[in-house]
Amino acid sequence: MPLELRMAWRNVWRNPRRTALTVAATVFAVVLVMVAVAMGAGTHEKMIEDSVRVNAGHVQVSGPGYRAKRTLEQYLPFDEQTAQRLFAAEGAVGVAPRITSFGLLSQAGATRGVAVVGVDPLREGSVTTLPGRVREGRFLEAEGVREVVLGGRLARVLSAGVGDEVLLYSVAYSMESAYELFRVVGILSLPEATMDRTLAVITLRDAQEFFVYGDRVSEVAILAGDSGAVPALAGAVRRAIGEGSAEVHTWRESMPELEQLILLDDAGMYVMLAILVVVVGFGILNTILMAVLERKREFGVVLALGLKPRAIFTIVYLESLLLALVGLAIGLAIALPLILYLQAHPIPLTGAAVEAMALFGIEPEATWKLKPLNPLGSILTILGVAIVAALYPAAKASRARPVEALRSL
Amino acid sequence: MTDGGAILEARGVTKVYETRGVETHALNGVDLEIGEGEFTALSGPSGSGKTTLLNLFGALDEPTRGEIHLDGESLAHLGAAALSDLRLRKLGFVFQAYNLIPVLSAIENIEFVMVLQGVSAGKRRARAEDLLREVDLEGLGGKRPLEMSGGQQQRVAVARAIASHPRIVLADEPTANLDSETAARLLDLMERLNADRGVTFLFSTHDPLVMDRARRNVRLKDGRVVADEAKTAA
Repeated sequence: MPLELRMAWRNVWRNPRRTALTVAATVFAVVLVMVAVAMGAGTHEKMIEDSVRVNAGHVQVSGPGYRAKRTLEQYLPFDEQTAQRLFAAEGAVGVAPRITSFGLLSQAGATRGVAVVGVDPLREGSVTTLPGRVREGRFLEAEGVREVVLGGRLARVLSAGVGDEVLLYSVAYSMESAYELFRVVGILSLPEATMDRTLAVITLRDAQEFFVYGDRVSEVAILAGDSGAVPALAGAVRRAIGEGSAEVHTWRESMPELEQLILLDDAGMYVMLAILVVVVGFGILNTILMAVLERKREFGVVLALGLKPRAIFTIVYLESLLLALVGLAIGLAIALPLILYLQAHPIPLTGAAVEAMALFGIEPEATWKLKPLNPLGSILTILGVAIVAALYPAAKASRARPVEALRSL
Repeated sequence: MTDGGAILEARGVTKVYETRGVETHALNGVDLEIGEGEFTALSGPSGSGKTTLLNLFGALDEPTRGEIHLDGESLAHLGAAALSDLRLRKLGFVFQAYNLIPVLSAIENIEFVMVLQGVSAGKRRARAEDLLREVDLEGLGGKRPLEMSGGQQQRVAVARAIASHPRIVLADEPTANLDSETAARLLDLMERLNADRGVTFLFSTHDPLVMDRARRNVRLKDGRVVADEAKTAA
C-alpha cells in the first residue's frame, strides 16, 4: 500500500469517535438519499403507469390536428392492417383504437354532458385498465349492440343502474343530429373524479355508426412494455404509420400536467436532499479541518523530513475520500436491500393521501423502484461532497511552513 | 574549528521576528561554520537564538539578512520544493518532543525518509532493521510511538535522522524530555554514531550533560556568538 494511503487510512481512525460520528452522518445521508430517490422513481413510475393505463397509453396516434381541436373532423383511417403494423412496432405490447367525442346523456329527468368514448372491447384491455374497473355489471362485449358503461359518479347523478336505458344525443361527423338509446351494462369505478363524473363508454362499432364515422377513429392508444422505451416506441410508430399522415404523441405531450407534477415533486425532493448533502459536507469538512489543525506540528515534522507539500495535500484528500467511502459502503449495504424489500412490498396509503392520489387517478400506494442511476448518483454525490469539503483543509495543511508548524505547540 | 570541510555556514546571519509591529532580533550578524564529523553543541539561555539558528541551518526558515550555505551552496532563493528536496537528501532532524509520526510503527518511522528518497522496499526494510539494532531497539519495530517510552522514541528519532545518510543531524534539545540516565544513554548512542559512522551532529541545548559531551561548544547570547570553544582530545 502506498505510504500516503497507509498514513491516510490510519489517520482516519486516530479519533474513532469523531470518525464514527461523521461516518454515521454519511450513512444516514446515503440511506435517506437513496430511499427518497427510489421512492420518487417508484411513485412517479406508478403515477405514469396508472395514468396511461386509465387514459390513452404511452403513445397515441391520431389524425393531423386532433390534439389541438379534438373534434370528429380530425380522424385517422383505421383497419386491421393498421392495427397489425402498429402492434409490430418495437416495444408495443397493446394497441387500442378509439373514438372520442362529446354528447348529452339523459335518463329520466336528468341530463349530463359526457365524454363519449368508443372502444374495441377485445383490444381495450391490452392498453387500459377500463375493463377491470367495472364495479357493477360487466364491461362491453364485442357482440353487444348499443350497450354503454358509465362512470360511477355519472351513473349516480343520472340515477342510472345496470339494465336501465339512457338516451345519448350528439352531433355526427355528417353534422346531423345523432341520438340513440343505449342500455347500461356496467358501472365503472374510476380513480379520477372528473373522469368518473363524465365518462360514457360504448363499443367502437356503435360509435362509428352513431357518429356516421365509417372506418375512421379519433386515435389509437399504444402501450409500451417498459415506460423507459417510450421514446423508441414513438419513433417506431412514426416509421410504421408514415410521416405526415398522422400525429404521434407520447404521454408527456398528452398529459403535460402529469409531467409538470413529477418535475415539481422531483424539484422539492432534490432541494431537501441537497440541504442534507450540504450538512454532511460540513460534517466532513469539520472532521478533516479539526484533524488538520490538531496535526499542525506533525505536518511541520514531515515537511522538515522532506515530504512535499503536494503529498500532504494528497494525504488530507485521501482521508476525506476514505471517510466518505466508509460511509458510502455502509450506506449502500443498508440502502440497497432496504429498497429492494420496499420495491417488492409497496405500502398502502391511508387518510388524506388516498384522496390526493385519487385526484390524479393513482392507486394509493407508496412504491419504490431502484434504478441503476440511483446508487451511482449517490456515490458520485457523496464523493463530490468529500472532494469539495476536503479542499480547504488540504490546502491549509499543504501550505504550512515547517518552522511555523513546529512552533505551533 | 572544524574536523573536516564546512558542511554548514552562517554568514552575517540576522533574524528579526515581527509580532504586532514589535521587532525582536533573534540573531544579530552570526558567523559560524560547522565542519564534517563535528559533535557540536549550541548553548545559551532561553531567547539566545539557539533554536532560530538551528532552524535556519535546517532550511526550515529564512534569515532576514545574511546567508546560510550548505555544502558551499547558498540556500537563498531556493523555493519550497528545492528546500524540501535538500532537507531530504542532506539533513537529519531530532526534535525535543521526539515527533515521531504517531500512525506509523517504529520501523515505518525509520523507513519514512527512505520511502521519500525512493529506496526499494527490501533495501529500506533491511536498513531500518539494522538501524533498530544499532539503537538497541531490536524487536520493537512493530510498536507505535505511543507504546514506547520517551527514551525509546528518541532512539527511533535518531535512527530516522540517520536513515537517509544525511550530511549532518540537527538535534533540537534532544535530551530535554529525558531523565539523566536515559539522556546519557542517548548521548552514548550519538557519540558512537559520530565516532564509528562519522555522522556529524549539531545540538541546541541547555543540558550541561550535552555540553560536557560535545567536542565543540558554541555559546550564544542575545543573538550573537559569545564563545566558541573546541575541546582537545584527551
